[in-house]
Amino acid sequence: MTAAAELVKMKICMAGEAMVGKTSLIRRYVLEEYEDRYTATLGTKITKKSLGVAHPQDGHRVEVNLILWDIMGTPTLRDLLKEAYYHGAHGILGVADLTREETLRELDAWSRSIRTVAGSVPTYMVVNKADLEGEARMDRGTIDAFCRDRGYPWSYTSAKTGAGVEEAFEGLVRHVLSR
Amino acid sequence: MRPHDDRDLKGAPPLRRPETSVLVKEALRKDANDVDALFVLAALRAQDGHPDEGLTILDRVLVIDPGYPGAWFFKEKLHRMRGETRQAETAREQGEATEA
Repeated sequence: MTAAAELVKMKICMAGEAMVGKTSLIRRYVLEEYEDRYTATLGTKITKKSLGVAHPQDGHRVEVNLILWDIMGTPTLRDLLKEAYYHGAHGILGVADLTREETLRELDAWSRSIRTVAGSVPTYMVVNKADLEGEARMDRGTIDAFCRDRGYPWSYTSAKTGAGVEEAFEGLVRHVLSR
Repeated sequence: MRPHDDRDLKGAPPLRRPETSVLVKEALRKDANDVDALFVLAALRAQDGHPDEGLTILDRVLVIDPGYPGAWFFKEKLHRMRGETRQAETAREQGEATEA
């Protein structure tokens, strides 16, 4: 007889500056869609998705109900709304834009804000817009050093092509489960 | 330049995110009960030093959508800013129940 899967509810919050592709990443992951035209996020959008994974510690089957919180990337409202956004978060997907180096550095400010509400919550980082390699403003070494110093696993994604998107969300889920 | 989500399709310089207050105004012009816009308007009013107005607007959000993500915890914060501990605790309990 097969053992029933463990059921886990997981609140995942996006973090990162405006226009790095947070909404596009969720849209690609959940709906397998991409829209070229930028639409600024206003308020908070919640999307749900279920996935089955092997637990990283002993391999038992886990059915994860993901609740993805898409959050507007307005730094001026970040601290005011941090409790509203990050209360009860189990994991953070930090997003930087390959073509704007400052979006990597700014993740520290997001992280500081999140820690005051959710503590040391597991964070996975993606460098999005990997399809724009020719316009890259940061190299792998810079990203590696940034993430190593902070203990973030990371990977490249392209919401436009879909490359690395599913792997990133699943990487975050495994990172959360391994804590 | 190739089109992308933050670039004009005709190759103009990268677009900037419009001012949040402008986005709110536009959204409310189209729909006075747009909960996303009302939620952000509540935050903007509180940020401008008017938590009372923020709370009034937030209460409207919660009438339209009692489950609006994060709204109860934001309400808790605004009550704390006004020194209203009991109301803050009630809002927190509502938030915990809503997002459980």
